[in-house]
Amino acid sequence: MQVKTSVILISLAIFLLVVDLIRRQKITFRYSLFWLFTCSVALILGSSPRLLDRLANLAGFTLPSNFVFFLLLSFFIILSLLLTLYINEQNSRTEILAQKIAILQQKLGELEKKSGPEKGSGG
Amino acid sequence: MKPENVLVVIPAYNEERAIRRLVQEIKLCYPHFHVVVINDGSTDNTVGEGEAGGGVVVSLPFNLGIGGAVQTGYKIALEGGFDCMVQIDGDYQHDPKYIMSIITPVLSGELDLCIGSRFLSPDAPFRSTFLRRIGIRFFAILLGWITGIHITDPTSGFRATGAKLIRQFALYYPMDFPEPEAIQIAKRYRAKIGEAPVQMRSRLGGRSSIRYLTTLYYMIKVTFAILIDTMKKKE
Repeated sequence: MQVKTSVILISLAIFLLVVDLIRRQKITFRYSLFWLFTCSVALILGSSPRLLDRLANLAGFTLPSNFVFFLLLSFFIILSLLLTLYINEQNSRTEILAQKIAILQQKLGELEKKSGPEKGSGG
Repeated sequence: MKPENVLVVIPAYNEERAIRRLVQEIKLCYPHFHVVVINDGSTDNTVGEGEAGGGVVVSLPFNLGIGGAVQTGYKIALEGGFDCMVQIDGDYQHDPKYIMSIITPVLSGELDLCIGSRFLSPDAPFRSTFLRRIGIRFFAILLGWITGIHITDPTSGFRATGAKLIRQFALYYPMDFPEPEAIQIAKRYRAKIGEAPVQMRSRLGGRSSIRYLTTLYYMIKVTFAILIDTMKKKE
């Protein structure tokens, strides 16, 4: 099998997997965007070695394979940066929720205390 | 301005040894103030002791750190429409006697943020350790250079905030080691910032949130945060 074929097959498989994950509501479009974009780039570069050669040259790489490794590394760096961002987003939301719950819980306790004795004494 | 409109917030993490005495003392000195203990996920009897002292206890479901606890206080102050919020440490380090001196400039509208400084009172018995004082000086100089305001005790967690800043801090407040950064944020909101002399004691219980291993992190984080804050949009 040619390299070209395997690259296209794998990129296509990942692309379809991500689309299926969106369809099954396991992942939202927002979080899949980066994957879909990367798969598309891999598909384009995989199906056109001439484009890959030219881009590699443009970026200053003698060997196109090194350029591919460079792209792969960049993909993971950007991905981990995005993941850090998402974790932070979750963190600040959890924080807001924790504060809200604490305030509501205290208010609820106060209300219960107020209505509690009334029930016991029958008014 | 009505004295009922002052909220005293005590962030507390495992402070069962000091919290009851502190709340009782505040209640005794200022019977009209609302006292709220923010229990920051304590594993000891901080809740029971705080309530025994007569305070309202708000319990966070897990430990958020000092900033998260204080911000909870700001949210309560905003919701309750308080004119002034006082933040006082739960470890008995800050003498509640001095609450009056730090809220007076805020209630009169003279200041939006009044920091209780241990270095302004002439006969302070407790001025922290040598190393800690170097750190405090560093932030004092950094903040002076950036904000143009000379604060002698920028790390002090004994401070009073007016309604204008309560609104802002309820929306955003730094999560860890917030005190010096909050001064820069206040400055960004064009707040009037000043100090009042207070006396501090050595702590009765608990540990300082600043320990040796975290000192380096503290210095770098706060310096970085202050510099980053200067790049945020001015209001």
